[in-house]
Amino acid sequence: MMKEFPKEALDLDEMILSYIRRGTDHQDSEEFNRLALLVFELQVKYIPIYRCYCEKRGIHPENISSWDQVPALPTDAFKVMDLAMFPSFTVRTFMTSGTTKPEERGKVGYDDGGLQLMDATIDEAASVFLFPERIKTKILILAPSPDTVPHMIMAYGMNRLKESFGLPQSRFLIGQDGFEVQVLVDELRRSEANGIPTTICGGSFGFVNFFDYCREKGLRFKLPPGSRTLDAGGFKGRSREVKREEFVGAGEEFLGIPKYYSVNLLGMTEVSSQFYDNTLRNFQRGLDLPETKVNPPWTRTLVVDPDTLEPLPQGKVGLLRHFDLANRGHIAAIQTDDLGRTTSEGFEIYGRSRGEEARGCSLTIEEMTRIQKD
Amino acid sequence: MEIIEVDAYYVPPDFRSQVKDFRTEVYQDENITIHLKIPQISNSFVETLTDHLKKRRETYLASLPIGKIIDVLDEASRKWLERDYPLRKLALKTIPFTTRFSREVVEASIDVEMGSSLREDIWHALCSEIKNPLFLDDFQYSPELNGYSRAFGPKLIISIFSENIPALPHLLFMRSALLKAACLGKVATGEPTFAPLYLKTIEEIDPEMAESMAVLYWRGGEQDIEEAAFHHADAVIMFGGVEACESLREKIPRGVKALLHGHRLGFGIIGQKRLCRKGLRELAASVALDCSMFDQHACLAPHIYYLEAGGEVSPKEFCRTLAEAMERLNLKMPRGKISPGEASAIHQLRAKYEFRELNGEEVLLLASPHGTDWTIVYEKDPGIFSPSPLNRFIRIFGVEDILQILPSVKSIAPYLQNAAVAIGDEREKELIRRLGELGVARITSPGKMPIPSMMWHHDGISPLASLLRWCDIEKKDP
Repeated sequence: MMKEFPKEALDLDEMILSYIRRGTDHQDSEEFNRLALLVFELQVKYIPIYRCYCEKRGIHPENISSWDQVPALPTDAFKVMDLAMFPSFTVRTFMTSGTTKPEERGKVGYDDGGLQLMDATIDEAASVFLFPERIKTKILILAPSPDTVPHMIMAYGMNRLKESFGLPQSRFLIGQDGFEVQVLVDELRRSEANGIPTTICGGSFGFVNFFDYCREKGLRFKLPPGSRTLDAGGFKGRSREVKREEFVGAGEEFLGIPKYYSVNLLGMTEVSSQFYDNTLRNFQRGLDLPETKVNPPWTRTLVVDPDTLEPLPQGKVGLLRHFDLANRGHIAAIQTDDLGRTTSEGFEIYGRSRGEEARGCSLTIEEMTRIQKD
Repeated sequence: MEIIEVDAYYVPPDFRSQVKDFRTEVYQDENITIHLKIPQISNSFVETLTDHLKKRRETYLASLPIGKIIDVLDEASRKWLERDYPLRKLALKTIPFTTRFSREVVEASIDVEMGSSLREDIWHALCSEIKNPLFLDDFQYSPELNGYSRAFGPKLIISIFSENIPALPHLLFMRSALLKAACLGKVATGEPTFAPLYLKTIEEIDPEMAESMAVLYWRGGEQDIEEAAFHHADAVIMFGGVEACESLREKIPRGVKALLHGHRLGFGIIGQKRLCRKGLRELAASVALDCSMFDQHACLAPHIYYLEAGGEVSPKEFCRTLAEAMERLNLKMPRGKISPGEASAIHQLRAKYEFRELNGEEVLLLASPHGTDWTIVYEKDPGIFSPSPLNRFIRIFGVEDILQILPSVKSIAPYLQNAAVAIGDEREKELIRRLGELGVARITSPGKMPIPSMMWHHDGISPLASLLRWCDIEKKDP
């Protein structure tokens, strides 16, 4: 067993960290490519099974010159084995949800360095796409805290948001006894009264359940200016699918949150970074850019042909493949089964290509926030 | 660019003036544009049509001798088996387009379906189910009864087709005609072109018989239309998903017979005696055909082939020979196009097996050199019947003793249908007996899974006899 964390990984983490800390307003592709190849080299060196996988495809760090030649790993591979770079240094394991069968849950192990990278991506991305005016707000989270669900990456990420961007009154709203809906109502009333901007974040379906609750109880809130929502997870595989316009409309109706302040993000257990909508950033900065999910500079997204897995030109619909420098601790190139297409700034996602299995953290959150009809 | 106009419906010649409004759906790719003509229908239209079909049945089909009906059906099958038959040529353009099966698969499918629907097959099917086909014409002496019996079919059968097997809808029209029943078919959105063409063939041969047959398209669950149709029917036959069948069951009025063919699962079993060098390539070619025909979309297709260890050829070695056969067959009869979701499911599942293999597990992944054309995965039987993601993805499970598979087969008992069995020793009888008890409806040899005879008790029922009503004369003095 490895006794000491290898220095070359520490050094690489340092380089990636400073690249992430440069923020999202640059496109230094040369440096991205250099770091991507270093990450690949290290993953091939330390993850023997990934090395075999690449060798079978005739790919070695010496014979490629660009990040897009790096063999991508289908997400289901995480269901059959531990792909952490340094398993003996794993401090935290996140698991995919959407199924109760443990053998059908993907597991991704993080070492300390990997967690630091993820923390940095959360801070940098949120400070541009969720809090572009660099303010702190009260953050109310429609999810359980990481203490209750240590394997849920969304809970981890939301906790980081709370620590970096939350005022002291911020809190999680799913406890041992489920969704504390009365606490949420009280907190929102308090915000209305004291005028403190409030951010509500959580699984997309958790919001829908709360909107249903408001509709049923005749509740309406007028949250102070600067309040916003952040939802993640989407609706695929859910009892009902809610269109974005409908979702945003409900945010305006029940919470009094203007449409530009409803932000959606795509997060995946297998990818450390998050992909935000550019709506709030565009609004705050007066940018007239098409709405899209954005690739922050430390990530890239390709669209590949579903049958051959060969890259497709921009605009063509296919399967999304992400490359994330912050994935240093497991595998950087991830082949998803999400359908989408690339845009000038990032990509659009149309949902899972396979409809039958629900994906994302949203499912368990739905179960936890389902409000009993009395 | 070729433009083809094709009907997604068929109404009898004497009813055509009643079809007034159409809409056209246009489908196109780089080489071909298809204008699909669909009539606008209402529940009153369906009522008038069913009325027409029943009346014309009464004046013709109901009293047509069974021998003559068989003549017509046999001639129809023979026409479709001719390479130059214009309607076959048309179907070979439209079906690959609507279903995304390759032309070769559709061609094989027409040959298989029509080749098993000839005079002798039809006659045997009737004899196997009702002993004497002349019971359908008139009272016949029955020695067991020491009296006379006659069988009456339904007046009108509604048949709901699925899209997974091209050229299957003809079977429902054949069965209806043999029962001297009028038949209204509902085509599937995914493949609306074959059934209307088949009825044109019947019209070419016997236009009067065609007066009691029709095909329409409506959306599944379209309440008014379905109610109108079911209300006038004596029997409903449906092919489709398990849930679709269940939801249909609730809509069928009491007193209307229902034969619901929900989706089923198939598998194969090869014992150690059969895993020998001699004939290995032939056996592999047979298994490859089972796994490739209809791109595994048929209920008849195998999800798993169980292979017994201890023979001259190990299960793993057989997989390598099978891989060659899958590739050869794919060159000859290419797999059709599949959706992004289907392709993604195959890539993701391949990855799981590839990683287990790289991890040193007793697992093997063999896959087509390009894309997702075919996949073989080998592992020791995990004791769970795991369905395949289809589209030529076969799981090979190694077992120590072939009888070990029974518990996992039992776990899917309600969905059992078709099994290929090749054991080659005295255990075969025992295995077959147990499979029959568990609910398997058809046992055949490798290579024959996709080709049931017309005599087959489809999903374990008698498709003809179960729709008949009998009248017996038990009277000594006339």
